[in-house]
Amino acid sequence: MKSQLQLLKHLTALTIFMLTPYYLMGQDSSQSPGESQVNTCLECHEVLEVMPEGYSADDVHQAAATSCVGCHGGDATNYDMDESMSPAAGYIGIPSRQDIPKLCGRCHSHIDYMRTFRPRIATDQVDQYNQSIHGKKLAEGDQNVAECVSCHTSHAIFPADDPRSTTYAINIPNTCRQCHGNAELMDQYGLGHDQYDKYATSVHGKALLERKDTGVATCNDCHGNHGATPPDAESISNICGSCHLNNLTYFKQSQMAEDFDIHSCQECHGNHDIQPPTDQMLNTDSDTAICLTCHSVGDAGAATAFAMYRDIETVDSLYTLAQTKLKASQTSGMNYAEIDYQLQQTKQNLIQMRTLIHTFDTEEVKAKGADGIKTAKEAIHLAEMEIQEFQTRRVGYGLSTLAIVILAIAVFLKIRQRDEMLKQQ
Amino acid sequence: MTKIGRRDFVNYLLGFGGISAIAAIFYPIGRYLVPPPIREAEPTTLKVGSIDEFPANSSKIVRFGRKPVILIRDSGENIHALTATCTHLDCIVQFSEDRQQIICACHNGVYDLTGKNVSGPPPKPLTEFAVKVIDKEIVISQMKA
Repeated sequence: MKSQLQLLKHLTALTIFMLTPYYLMGQDSSQSPGESQVNTCLECHEVLEVMPEGYSADDVHQAAATSCVGCHGGDATNYDMDESMSPAAGYIGIPSRQDIPKLCGRCHSHIDYMRTFRPRIATDQVDQYNQSIHGKKLAEGDQNVAECVSCHTSHAIFPADDPRSTTYAINIPNTCRQCHGNAELMDQYGLGHDQYDKYATSVHGKALLERKDTGVATCNDCHGNHGATPPDAESISNICGSCHLNNLTYFKQSQMAEDFDIHSCQECHGNHDIQPPTDQMLNTDSDTAICLTCHSVGDAGAATAFAMYRDIETVDSLYTLAQTKLKASQTSGMNYAEIDYQLQQTKQNLIQMRTLIHTFDTEEVKAKGADGIKTAKEAIHLAEMEIQEFQTRRVGYGLSTLAIVILAIAVFLKIRQRDEMLKQQ
Repeated sequence: MTKIGRRDFVNYLLGFGGISAIAAIFYPIGRYLVPPPIREAEPTTLKVGSIDEFPANSSKIVRFGRKPVILIRDSGENIHALTATCTHLDCIVQFSEDRQQIICACHNGVYDLTGKNVSGPPPKPLTEFAVKVIDKEIVISQMKA
C-alpha cells in the first residue's frame, strides 16, 4: 500500500514537471525581473484541480506577489512535493484558528513592510483585535469566535473599499450575519441572532442595502471592526453623534442629559431596528408617544413633548398644504420658482425643529416654528396668487375669444347690410 | 322707449366687438410691460452686494433663482459661491470659520471650500458658481459646463 502511494506521488510530480513548461508559456511575462514568477503551490494545485474553496486569482495578496508560503509556509520554488511541503521547508499547512491573528500580524503589524504596499494602511489591527471580545475569547481558547479569515476570507481577500470584499460597507452586515445570525452559535453566548433582520428593516439598513448608500452606518460604524465590542450607554450617544451632530450637541446641553444622566439615543430610537423618527413619537395624546415610556400624561415631560409636537404639526400641515398648492401651480404651467424657494425654507425649518426637540426646550422649537409658519404662509399666498392668475387668464382667454367672435359676426352682418343697401340703390 | 333698429344693432355689435377685440390685444401687451408680482425663474447672473460689506472669514446665504447659494469669503480673502444644499439629504450647509470647511449639521457631511465632499455621507460635491468682483460689487454666475 505504502509503495503504491509512493508511486502515485512520483507520477503526480512527474506529470506536473512535464506540464509546467506548457503552463508557464501561457503566463504573463510582464512581471518585473525582481519578482519571483515561480509558485509551485499554485501550479500543482491548479493542475490537480484542488484549489482552496472560494479562491480568487484577484486576491490582494496574490496581486501583491505574496505567495502561498506567506501563510502556509513551505518552499514555493521546489517542484518536489515532499520537499516543498516538509517541516524542514517551514511548511505549516492550514494554520490553527488560534494562530491566525498572529500569523496575519507578522506582516500587517509591520509598519515598514506594509508601507511598501499601501502607505496609509493601519497596522494596529492585531492590537485592536486582541482587545476585542472576539480576541479575548480566542485567547481563552474559544474556537467559535471570529478571527481574521472569518471576516476577510482566506483566499478571496480584497481591500475594504473594493465592492468584492466581504468587508465592503454594503457587504458587512452579511459578513457579521454569518455568525451573529446563527441561532445555535449565539445561544451559547446568550446573544440574540436577529440583529441582521432588524438592521435590514431599519432606516440605516434600508439606505445601505436597498439604496446602496455607503455613507450610512453599518455594523462596524457602531461596534468597531477589529476592536469590536458592544458599546455602552455613553458611547452610544457619541457614536450616533458622529453623524447626527446637532442632535447630540443639543441633547448633551439639555436638562434630560444633565439631570438624569442615564439616557442614550437608543432609549427612544432603539438600536439595530432604528426606524425613521416620526412626529407621532412626541404625541402624548396617542399611544405612539415614545415619551410615555417614562413620562405620564399630565406631567411636565409629557406636556413638553406635546407642545413640541403641536408646533411641529402646525408647520408640517402648512408645509403639506403649500406643497399641494405648489403642485397646482406647476400643473397650471405657472411660474413656481418663488413658491419652491419658500417651501425649501419651510422644509429647512421643519428639519431644524425636529432636531431642536433634543433640547427639550419648547421655546426654541416654537421660535423656529414661527419662521416655518411665515415661509409656509408666504408659499401658500404666492401659490394662490399664481392659481388666481391662471384662472384670470383662462377667463380672459374666453372673453377675448368671445369678443373676436362677436366682432366677426358684426363684420359679417355689416357687410350683408351694406350689400342690401347697395342692391336697394 | 326708443326702438333699436336692425342697422343700429349691427353698429352697436360692431362697436362692442371692435372695442373688445382691441382690449383683447392690448391687455396682454400691458400685462407684459408691468412686472409680474412673482420674480421670474433662473437668473444667469446675480449681484450679491458690495465686497466692503462682506468681511473676511464670513459667509452668507443668498438666493439664486430657486436655489440657496452659500457665499463664503475665507481667511485668505478668496470668495467662493456654492449651492447651499447638501448633496446627501438637502439640508442647508454652513461655513465653519475654525475649520475653513463647509459642514452639514444634519449628518456631519464635510466639504472643502471648492465644494468637494471630503468626509461624511455626501455622495457628490456642491455645485460651484463663478464669482467676479466688478467695481467692488460681487457678481455670481452659473459656470458653463
